[in-house]
Amino acid sequence: MGPHFILLISALIFSIGALGFVIRRNPLIMFMSVELMLNSVNFLLIGYSNELRSIDGQIFALVIMTVAAAEVVVGLAIILTIFRTRHDLDVDHLDVLKG
Amino acid sequence: MFDFSWVDFNLFEVTYDVVVFVVGITAVLAALGVILCSSPIYCALYLIGHMMCLALLFLLYHAEFIAAVQIIVYAGAVMILFLFIIALLGGKKEKQEFSFHKFMALGFVGILSAELMLSARVGKTQPVEGMFTPAKITEVGSAKAVGIELFSRHLVPFELASILLLVAAVGVICLAKFPLKPLRRRAR
Repeated sequence: MGPHFILLISALIFSIGALGFVIRRNPLIMFMSVELMLNSVNFLLIGYSNELRSIDGQIFALVIMTVAAAEVVVGLAIILTIFRTRHDLDVDHLDVLKG
Repeated sequence: MFDFSWVDFNLFEVTYDVVVFVVGITAVLAALGVILCSSPIYCALYLIGHMMCLALLFLLYHAEFIAAVQIIVYAGAVMILFLFIIALLGGKKEKQEFSFHKFMALGFVGILSAELMLSARVGKTQPVEGMFTPAKITEVGSAKAVGIELFSRHLVPFELASILLLVAAVGVICLAKFPLKPLRRRAR
């Protein structure tokens, strides 16, 4: 159970997140897929920080968590604003930038 | 009394590997549940399960502080936010039919996944050996080790992260504050 297991699991989760981002039309679930991708990178960093006996990966993971939290807050606020103006929650219908 | 030193395998190591394997597979299955469920509320619950699995893996990889932060920030704060928004917007089920676009997306992601696997097999990574062995981390404590590194060598990213959080908070207040006129429904 070495680094190959970490790489395999991380690549699988990242691919699943990318697939979810492409095939789902609900913006909330698209955001959840983005969370999946960020989490897979976190897992890779933590696993390798354990493999290489260095703690820099944990610092990276901490910064990524901060970015993810900020991104989720802003993204959900944008989704809420779009829903308030358009009463529609399907990204395929959002074809104009003008509000 | 009993001498087991002639036994060639360490039961703890075998159990550790089995636990890591099972928790990793569970994390992948929960991720599949996130993207395959129709109802957003079930997706959110699967995502909470996925994050719990990842926190367990972090614990198994001797990153106790990050595991606690994962539980508190992700499974706590972020997912509660998601559940609030789902409750506010009404979690409508999404019809899932198979179309040509999804087939193309599947092919694209398959190629992406194959590339990731290939890049994992290219060669050995640089054999860095840091100073933080599990014994050392157990000795000083995970949070203390992270704190020492964070406040000495990585101080600038830490401060930038605080600025990022401030900017996000101000941006969300700006988004939520200004009243927006509802759009006229136009015929499609």
